[in-house]
Amino acid sequence: MRDKLTPRNIILCLCICSLPWLMYGIDGIEKLLSAYRIDFGWPGGDYVIRILVRACLYMLLAVGLNIVCGFTGLLDLGYVAFYLIGGYTAGILMQRLGVPYWFALPIAMAHGTIWGLLRGIPTLRLTGDYFAIVTFGFAELFFRIIRNEQWLTGIPNGQLRGIPAPSIPILGITFDQNWHNYYHILILLILVVFLNYRLQNSRVGRAWVAIREDEQAAESMGINVGRYKSLAFAVSAAIGAIGGAFIAQFQVNISAPFFEFWESILILCMVVLGGMGSIRGAMLGAAILGSLGEILREVLTRFTDFPELAGSRYLIFGIILILLMRFRPGGLIYKKT
Amino acid sequence: MWAQILEQLINGLVLGGIYALIAVGYTMVYGIIQLINFAHGEIYMFGAYIALMLIAVGTPFWIALPLSMLLCAILGMFIDFIAYKPLRNAPRLSALITAIGISLALQNLARMIWSARPRQFPSEVLPSFFLSEVTETGKVINAVPLPGGGILPFRDVFIFLLAVVLMIVLNMLIYLTKIGKAMRACAQNQVASNLMGIKTNQVIAATFAIGSALGAVAGIMVGLSEVVTPTMGYYKGVAAFAAAVLGGIGSISGAIVGGIVIGIAEVFGADIHSGYRIAFAYIIMILVILIRPSGIFGKATSKRA
Repeated sequence: MRDKLTPRNIILCLCICSLPWLMYGIDGIEKLLSAYRIDFGWPGGDYVIRILVRACLYMLLAVGLNIVCGFTGLLDLGYVAFYLIGGYTAGILMQRLGVPYWFALPIAMAHGTIWGLLRGIPTLRLTGDYFAIVTFGFAELFFRIIRNEQWLTGIPNGQLRGIPAPSIPILGITFDQNWHNYYHILILLILVVFLNYRLQNSRVGRAWVAIREDEQAAESMGINVGRYKSLAFAVSAAIGAIGGAFIAQFQVNISAPFFEFWESILILCMVVLGGMGSIRGAMLGAAILGSLGEILREVLTRFTDFPELAGSRYLIFGIILILLMRFRPGGLIYKKT
Repeated sequence: MWAQILEQLINGLVLGGIYALIAVGYTMVYGIIQLINFAHGEIYMFGAYIALMLIAVGTPFWIALPLSMLLCAILGMFIDFIAYKPLRNAPRLSALITAIGISLALQNLARMIWSARPRQFPSEVLPSFFLSEVTETGKVINAVPLPGGGILPFRDVFIFLLAVVLMIVLNMLIYLTKIGKAMRACAQNQVASNLMGIKTNQVIAATFAIGSALGAVAGIMVGLSEVVTPTMGYYKGVAAFAAAVLGGIGSISGAIVGGIVIGIAEVFGADIHSGYRIAFAYIIMILVILIRPSGIFGKATSKRA
């Protein structure tokens, strides 16, 4: 029932993650890509890396959401709120106050955790759809705040421009290349996934699953449901904030539409596609949908006359959700219980 | 000052009537199958677009309105049939995720068909009394003059009256007809009503049809006073859901009261800060769920899962 974190799996994951990057390094492929760039006007040879960075970022977010949705079985429709909090906390700290990234990242995590708990503790007794709708409202409120409170970012609509790239002064490296960010997110992802596996295989993970299966039974077996749920909210929120802090420096400019409600649904779709409650599933779903969305957007905007079609990739995501629930509610990685 | 408050109060009532129409669709479905039908907001959006299309091909407004209601009722039943019916015995989470999927698919389908450009009903095809104006000489046409110089357009009066009439009809349907009785029975206990010979699946389909038809009316009303966009269902839909929660989900009179409260709160909230207009509805909704999940009219159950 549990996923195993064997060295073989780790190496496999690493290879899969870095394979396209290694391919990119090969001259021939680069020439091929630059040929595409001339033909289709694709945004440069870094295109593949940017997709990979996005896929890794979504893997991180999906793994974070999986804690609440998959392990404790609560439908969180407002995960984007923590992504937003992380992004703006780190962004504002770095751009307006000049705090180095390595301090901004933990502060963003802490800030996300605080809000995760603030949202989580009053909603402890809610389950199912009422929990879902409260999380939705919560995320939407944060979205409004960032859009309307100009004093936070200085520019209307929550725009934050020119977030500086993180640097390691001792080594003299500034993370201004895409491949820097690729390894950056890969390391963050590996740490988060490792933490997740450790949690899943621990007393905490078993408590979470017990709560999902039957809250009353779990409580009567001596599990402090409130405490474990709060822990799930906190960890999940912290991971979301990591993703936000990363995207802030990766995108350089962020604005409110980055963190719209549909982003939550997209991440949820990834978790559901892979199979709720499975870390591997969440990562697989994120890898598929994260890259598929990006590629679809490029293809649809380049090869069709209707730029609006680019938004229609969400139509496909919606249909995926419906079909999965109907025919394979356990997701792609189906686990028999 | 007072004149302005009166005007805003009237605006709030009109908006509240629209919210009540949408909220009824949420609350009826929730009452019977305990599902937040996220797709309901999209049905309401489709109602507006279908009416727009019918009018564009030359259908008179008074025919486009019932036709759009009918088509939306069919759409609602169709969604129930393909998506929710197979999941009746599945975990609640599955149905909820399906509902989100449908909402997402329909919204983007609308974006593909009609583009994201906001549209309005062309004024020349609407009944003439909808076009209210104040002439240069100060004469008020097709509107009721209000103290303080404001006007109350006949259009808004019509919207509110239509909402009231539909609510009365709905109440009669639920309390006086056989299908209404069957609905109430299903809301109380689905298994027992099935055993008593009520075809629960048909009753659920009828519920979807009625809710969707009322949603279509609300969509057209919003189209008359505001604009029609593919995302209108998402914003107004959640505010209407807030109204249903506030009134006590499953209760139809609650949906009406909740709709009016949310409508007034939103209009006055927009006065305080226009950027937070819809946020007031969300705040009310969150507070109600956290403090009194059963709402104003709902029965106090220990747990609303």
